Amino acid sequence: MSNANNPLTSASSALWRSEQMQRRIAKRQVRDRRFKRLGLTAVLAAAAFIVVLLSVVITRAIPGLSQAQVSLEVYFDPLVIGATPDTAATVAGRTAIVYANYGQLIAEAINRRFADVSDPDKQRQLRTLMSPGARAALRRKVLKNSDLIGTKQSIWLYLSDDADFYLRQRARSVEPLPMTSLTTKAATWLNRLQDENLTRRSFHWLFFQRGDSREPELAGILGAVMGSFLTLTVTIAIAFPVGLASAIYLEEFAPKNRFVDIVEVNINNLAAIPSIIFGLLGLAVLLNVFHLPRSSPLVGGITLALMTLPTIIIAARAAITAVPHSLREAAMAIGASPIQVVFHHVVPCAMPGIMSGTIIGMAQALGETAPLLMIGMVAFVVDVPGGLSEAATTLPVQIFLWADNPERAFTEKTSAAILVLMLFLFAMNGLAVYLRNRFETRW
Amino acid sequence: MTHIAEASPVQSHDNTVPAGPTAKATARAVNVTYGNTRAVKNVDLDIFTDEVTALIGPSGCGKSTFLRCFNRMNDTIENARVSGDIRIDGEDIYGATINVVQLRARVGMVFQKPNPFPKSIYNNVAYGPRIHGLAAPGPDLDQVVEVSLQKAGLWDEVKDRLDQPGTTLSGGQQQRLCIARAIAVNPEVILMDEPCSALDPIATGKVEELIEELRGRFAIMIVTHSMQQAARVSQKTAFFNQGELIEYGPTADVFTKPKHEQTKDYIMGRYG
Repeated sequence: MSNANNPLTSASSALWRSEQMQRRIAKRQVRDRRFKRLGLTAVLAAAAFIVVLLSVVITRAIPGLSQAQVSLEVYFDPLVIGATPDTAATVAGRTAIVYANYGQLIAEAINRRFADVSDPDKQRQLRTLMSPGARAALRRKVLKNSDLIGTKQSIWLYLSDDADFYLRQRARSVEPLPMTSLTTKAATWLNRLQDENLTRRSFHWLFFQRGDSREPELAGILGAVMGSFLTLTVTIAIAFPVGLASAIYLEEFAPKNRFVDIVEVNINNLAAIPSIIFGLLGLAVLLNVFHLPRSSPLVGGITLALMTLPTIIIAARAAITAVPHSLREAAMAIGASPIQVVFHHVVPCAMPGIMSGTIIGMAQALGETAPLLMIGMVAFVVDVPGGLSEAATTLPVQIFLWADNPERAFTEKTSAAILVLMLFLFAMNGLAVYLRNRFETRW
Repeated sequence: MTHIAEASPVQSHDNTVPAGPTAKATARAVNVTYGNTRAVKNVDLDIFTDEVTALIGPSGCGKSTFLRCFNRMNDTIENARVSGDIRIDGEDIYGATINVVQLRARVGMVFQKPNPFPKSIYNNVAYGPRIHGLAAPGPDLDQVVEVSLQKAGLWDEVKDRLDQPGTTLSGGQQQRLCIARAIAVNPEVILMDEPCSALDPIATGKVEELIEELRGRFAIMIVTHSMQQAARVSQKTAFFNQGELIEYGPTADVFTKPKHEQTKDYIMGRYG
């Protein structure tokens, strides 16, 4: 049997049935199985990480998506508002309604509720239980319906973030963290309100309707969502056509010479440049030279487009190279001009790959913070941006800002914003996959 | 580009066609080099409208490269250089006034591997007429598509599924679709580069019948590795070896009484 390994001297039947050969085959099979197990483990580990990430974010975000409210009997005092239902339609009446001291109405209402509290210092503490947003809510109500003036209404108003946090802790029967600014006295007041069934928790719609705020219970994500949307619109409007045109030119038309080689190498290098450098470029060129509006989606979008371009170019070139040469020949042989060959045949065929590259590039751009910090998109922006030149911030920057905020309630807002960012990403990718499937040509 | 006018049989004093069988296309002193390699060496050849010309020879002998000179497909290869004089109806196709894009419509080509566009059967055929503006979209174009598919012998098989992708057809049907696509733009010459090498015998038989039917309407040049096929479909045969045209004559003569030793050896199957 010692010769059984030598294919030249042993009979083939002996060669393939020898013990050594059996052992060798068994060894190979073991390797196969080991590799498959390793691969499966890797996939499961990756999936587990994603599940952990998602569950952490979601469990943290859920408290941020609800908000505690209290029911107060508010008397819309015509003397405080300075208008009556009859004068509300006049200019003076309307001005009075807009600038009225609604804080006083709330203070009166809460003092009526806690008639036993007479010490002015304690009364001030009582007022801090209410969110500053309650005043705005009252103003909105009166502006909408001036007949309320002179009447007494039971109205659900937002509690402050500290009160909200305390009530949530109480519901879970956990001692409130010392971080809250609530006094023991305030806590007993809240207990009373809750025990009298005058508080409730409801879905925090305001979070999706507003821009940023210093008060966590009034801070919303809509400003950042709009900012991200506008910024990415600019990014894709620039990066996709420029990237596609560059890729097509380099693959299909560029002469093979040193200059083109240098361009190609540098495009690959650009893809590896840290994103903050692009931010510096945006600052130096777009803001300082061209004087484009600071912290606007326009500048952010252009900066991110510069960052995304190499990714799109590299992916599009790979997709274009992968189009079989026989297709180009078929089109050329029928008399299609070079442009017709490219746009009728090569690009449609390469579109799925180009879209994949674009998705990756846009996902990168969506999650990017660093370059936006350099061009001032880190600003505190209260208004929801409505145009490309208005001050805006984006989702990741908003998350960064909130995560940086020492107030306890902002941590929940941070998680909720992360959730929104991920939903935004899923929506974007879903759209891209849908478009890709629509454009995909059956081969 | 060297012009060897006196060698061209279609050249008369006033450039009009002389009496007798006239060549549709003429090649004189054609050389093709890829970098330092000479793939085609000094080839002279005439092809005629009512004949099928077969190019045979061992692999790498330059017959496909020579074929691709007629629609200037070699231009698309990075380092290929073509010299010599190639004329279609007396017109120098490498001349300064020639539009390559238009030339490729006039000289159709069918490739070794069927390469229909990843579009519907209808659009595969309609694409050429559409980009050249040969037929108005609508009934005119429908008519061109139908006639082309009929000429290619494919109409009856696909008339009920014109909107399906051309790639869903069988290999032989795809190749006939490619032929339909080529003839839809009404070319003058059709070049076929081993059109049957990827097909089974039945599909091959259909394509060969088709070539026979197309003969007379178009000047056809076909590169083939099958000597039986050359014998079946062609009237003239050119034998290439190592870039040179060794022998060119009526197919029957080349196969039954070859003048050159090399031709004889190849036909007898001694090499290649």
